Amino acid sequence: MKILITIFSCFLFVAISNGQERYLTKNGAITFYSKAPVEDITADNNQVLSIIDASSGKMAISILIKSFMFKKALMQEHFNENYLESDKFPKATFKGSILNFDAIKETATKAQVKGVLTIHGVSKEITIDGDFTKTKEAILVDGNFIIEVDDFGIEIPAVVDKNINKKIKVSFNFNHKPYNK
Amino acid sequence: MMKLKKIIIRILILVIIGAFVAYKMYNKPHVNVANSKSDISLTADKILNDFSSDENSSNSKYLEKIIEVKGVISEINIEKEKGIITLKTNDDFGSVLCHLSEAATKKMSALQEGQSITVKGICTGFLMDVILVKCEFSNH
Repeated sequence: MKILITIFSCFLFVAISNGQERYLTKNGAITFYSKAPVEDITADNNQVLSIIDASSGKMAISILIKSFMFKKALMQEHFNENYLESDKFPKATFKGSILNFDAIKETATKAQVKGVLTIHGVSKEITIDGDFTKTKEAILVDGNFIIEVDDFGIEIPAVVDKNINKKIKVSFNFNHKPYNK
Repeated sequence: MMKLKKIIIRILILVIIGAFVAYKMYNKPHVNVANSKSDISLTADKILNDFSSDENSSNSKYLEKIIEVKGVISEINIEKEKGIITLKTNDDFGSVLCHLSEAATKKMSALQEGQSITVKGICTGFLMDVILVKCEFSNH
């Protein structure tokens, strides 16, 4: 009888922990693009961690600044050392909720995420539009938005001020899979 | 008159050299992982344990360095035509994620889960896992 109870409670436990419904990606993509007179600046990061709790629609994203890869080594160096100061602030994060999460269907649905974005040690509340697709096997999220470097205390020296656009277009694409561990 | 000409020629040469150096610096190549010696060599267990016990000091120790990691493959994936190899650790949640270079991705087909390998790459930090980018296979 005891064994039966043990087995039963094991199953029950598994059922409860499955109810958590976490979806996760460890290789989400974030790209940023900034138009510049000499050469457009782009960088890719394909190691973004993003987690969605499908029971509540909460979303958490962690980004390693040093994972942004530039075409030019010098740009990457300046980005890390002078602008984002990645030794001091190695990560950027986003914590928020997908609004109207239950309305998201198995085909691409427009929705918004609202939350706090932290870059360069500075936090700011933002709302981002995106396309969301929700199935049993995956939650896809993609879209883009504009950030202003001034909002995050990123200083651009006067010498190169004119060469760097202060509005940066950030694109994201995450393919979350069910996470069971 | 001749003197002035000489000075102008000298200045011109300096300007050309300066422009050349500036151009070279602007186009400075990325670190070539395949041809560089690794800064640190260790096991997948060790680097993950270091990061999960003290992330700050591990950041200053490992970030942007060429790290050679030895471990057992637990997963092989391809994402956007680039290979990603997961190295097992004794931690339940964390592992070492090795994002392969294009050249290494081409050599990936010979690998199998459970196989022990040594990978060399640049460490960019720790999320759930330790992340290495631009990885190459080490020849031993």
